[in-house]
Amino acid sequence: MPLSRRTFLAALAAAGVVTSAPSRAQPSTEIELFFPVPVDGQLARDMTSMIKEFSDTHPGIKATAVFTGSYDETLIKTRAAMKAGKPPAAVIMSANFVLDLKIENELTNLDALIKADGLTNDKFMNQFFPALHANAVIDRSVYAVPFHNSTPLLYVNADHFKEAGLDPDKLPQTWDELTAAAIKLTKREGDKVTRWGLMIPSNYDYLGWMMSALTMCNGGRYYNEEFGGEVYYDTPTMLGALTFWNELIGKHKVHPAGEQKGPAVSTAFLSGNTSMMLLSTGSLTHVRTNAKFPYKVAFVPKNVRNAVPIGGASLIIPAGVDGERQKAAWVLIKWMTSPDKNGWWSRATGYFAPNIAAYEAPEMKEFLGKNPDAKVGVDQLSVAKPWFATYKTVPVRKALEDEVQAVLAGKKQPKEALVAAQKAADEILKPYVDQTALKLPGM
Amino acid sequence: MTPSRRHSTLPLATRREIVPRIGYGLVLVAAVLWLVPILWMLVASVRPQSFGGPGMASLIPDAQPTSRNFIDAWEAADFPRYYLNSAIIVAGILAVQLVTITLAGYAFARVAFPGRQWLFYVFLLQLMLVPVVLIVPNLSMVARIGLYDTLLGVMAPYFASAFGTFLMRQAFASIPRELEDAALVDGASVLQRIRHIYVPLALPAFLAFAVVSVTAHWNEFLWPLMVINSPDKRPLTVGLAAFTRGQEGAQSWGVIAAGTLLVIAPLLLLFLLFQRRFINSFVTSGIK
Repeated sequence: MPLSRRTFLAALAAAGVVTSAPSRAQPSTEIELFFPVPVDGQLARDMTSMIKEFSDTHPGIKATAVFTGSYDETLIKTRAAMKAGKPPAAVIMSANFVLDLKIENELTNLDALIKADGLTNDKFMNQFFPALHANAVIDRSVYAVPFHNSTPLLYVNADHFKEAGLDPDKLPQTWDELTAAAIKLTKREGDKVTRWGLMIPSNYDYLGWMMSALTMCNGGRYYNEEFGGEVYYDTPTMLGALTFWNELIGKHKVHPAGEQKGPAVSTAFLSGNTSMMLLSTGSLTHVRTNAKFPYKVAFVPKNVRNAVPIGGASLIIPAGVDGERQKAAWVLIKWMTSPDKNGWWSRATGYFAPNIAAYEAPEMKEFLGKNPDAKVGVDQLSVAKPWFATYKTVPVRKALEDEVQAVLAGKKQPKEALVAAQKAADEILKPYVDQTALKLPGM
Repeated sequence: MTPSRRHSTLPLATRREIVPRIGYGLVLVAAVLWLVPILWMLVASVRPQSFGGPGMASLIPDAQPTSRNFIDAWEAADFPRYYLNSAIIVAGILAVQLVTITLAGYAFARVAFPGRQWLFYVFLLQLMLVPVVLIVPNLSMVARIGLYDTLLGVMAPYFASAFGTFLMRQAFASIPRELEDAALVDGASVLQRIRHIYVPLALPAFLAFAVVSVTAHWNEFLWPLMVINSPDKRPLTVGLAAFTRGQEGAQSWGVIAAGTLLVIAPLLLLFLLFQRRFINSFVTSGIK
C-alpha cells in the first residue's frame, strides 16, 4: 500500500510537471477548513498533513487547515467570521450544533450538491451508519456530513477486577452490577478513599452528554429528536438517572463528589486511581497507548434498556460560501469522508469511522483483529441514538449542567435541580417555540 | 506583595509590633501556595514518565530528569515562528499605545476643552465592557479594512487603551504645573514639554503600564484565534492550545507543562531580570 501510494504520488508529480504550464495559468481556488483539535497536538499535525495531501492531489484547489480551539470556540469563530463576511469554506463542527446553525440560517443546504453528483439524499446518507443520520439530516435535507463520531463507553481496569474478586470477562451490564462492582473496587483507608470504583466526567459539554447517556439507559429521550424546542429534563427517566449518579457519590461513596473534568478522569484511570470510568470512544487510542495494565471496554450499563447518544463532529459548509469555493469545499468534504481517509483518521484517533465501507478495508479488518476493544464502540452503534440538539443548544445544555453540578457537589437535591433546569431551559427555548409550535393560523 | 513592602518600610517605632509579623508570615504562606503550580510545572516538565503513575502529582523531582517533554513540545509546534509572532504583536501594540496614551493622557490632564470631564468618563466606560462582546463588531471592522488574518488585525483594536489613558492622566496630573510653565517660558512647544517634562517624570507609570500591556497581550488567546487563519501567523497561545484543548481525549501533562514553560519563559526571564524596577514602578504608580 505505501509503495503503491508513493508510485501514485510520483506519477502525479510527473503529470504535474508535464501539465504544469497550463495548470499554472489557472488560478487555484483557495479554501480553508476550520477544525477543533479532537484529541491531542499530534492530531493537529495529522490534520494539517491530511489537508496538505488533499491540496497536493487536487490541483486547482489550495486548502488550508485552520486550528480553531475547542468545539465551542470553533462555533464562536465560525459565527464571528460569517458575520465579518469571511465564512470559511468548510468546518468540522460538533454534530449537535448543526440544528442550531440550521435554525439560524447559517448553513448551506447540501441537497443540490448531492443531486449534481447524481445521487439522492437517501443514497448519499446510506454510506453512513444510520444512528448518525438524525444529526445531519433536518426535515429531509442534508446539512452535514459525519466525519468522526463517538459513543460513551465503560472502561474497566482488568487487574483491579481480578484483585477485587470480580471476573474481567463478565463486565457489569446493569446499574445493579455496576454499583456492586464499584463498591467492591473502592478502596478506603479509614474515611479516606484511596481508589474510586467509578468516575464519570462532569465538565461542561461532557456532563450534558453523560446525563443524556444515563437518561437514555433509563429509557428516556432527553430531548425531542423531531423538534428543537423541547427538552425532557423534569421527567422520571432523568430523575432516576441523576439520583443514580448522586447515590454513587453520597450513598455508596464510590464516586468522587464535585466536578470531574474529562482529562482528569482519564488520568485517574490510567494512574490506577479509579477502577472504572465512563468516557468517550474518542479516548480509546489514548488509553491504549498509555495504559500500563490490561483494560476492557463494554457498553454503558443499563437500567431499562441499552442506549447511548452519539458524539463527535460533522463537516458543514457555512451559508454564504458559493460558486467555485462551494464546489471545492464539497470535493474536500467527500474526500475526507471517503472510506480510505475516514478509516485512517479513525485508527489515528479512536473515533469510529462513520463511513460503513471503511470497515470493509483490509487495514481496518486487521486493526480490529488486533484491537477488539475498538470493535465494541462500533457494535454499540446498533443501540445509539441522536445527540441532543435544540435551538440554542449550548445555553440549553448549560441550564441542565449548572443544576447537575450543584447536585454532584452536594448542594441540591436531584428533583429540585431538574425542576429548575427545566424552567431555565424552557425560558431559553420560548422564542423558538413561539415562532414554531405555538405559531398558529391567525384567521 | 503589598504587605511585605509595608513591612520593610515600617517606621522603626512599630517594628516590634506583632501584627506586621503575622502579616509577613501570611504573605509567606500565600507565596508558597502561589508557587506550587509553577514548581509542579517545572518538575512535571522534566519527569520521564509524565503520564499517569501514582507519582504524577508529586512535587519531588525524579532522580533521572528528561528533556524528552521539551523535545516533544518543541517539535509539536513551530515555536520560533510563534515566538516571533507573539513578540511582534506585543511590541507593536505597546509602541502605538505609548504614543496614544501619552497624548490622550496629556490632553485629559492639562488641556482645557469643553466637555473634557464628560468625554473622559465616556472613555473610561470602555473598561466596563467585557472584551467578548466586542469580538463580532471588531472582527467585522478588521475584515472591512482588509486586516483579516494579519498580525496588524490582531493589534489594531488595542491601539488605544482606556486603562493606559486613565493611568497617564493621573500620572501627568500629579506633576506640578509649574515645571511645565517654566518650560513654556523658555519657549518649549507642546510636544517638547511632553517629551522633556512629562515623559521622564512619569516613567514609572509608563513602565507599569508596559508590564500590564505586555503580559495581557502575550497571554491573550480568544482574539488572535478569531483573527488568524494562517498557521504561520499564529501567536504562542494559539499554537500552544493545540495540545491543551483536547476535546474527548486525555492529555500528556509532561508535554503540556514543558510547552507552557516555553511560552511563559521569556516573560518570566524578563521579570526576574528587571524585578526591582517593575516592583518600584508599581509602587510609585499605585497599581495593585
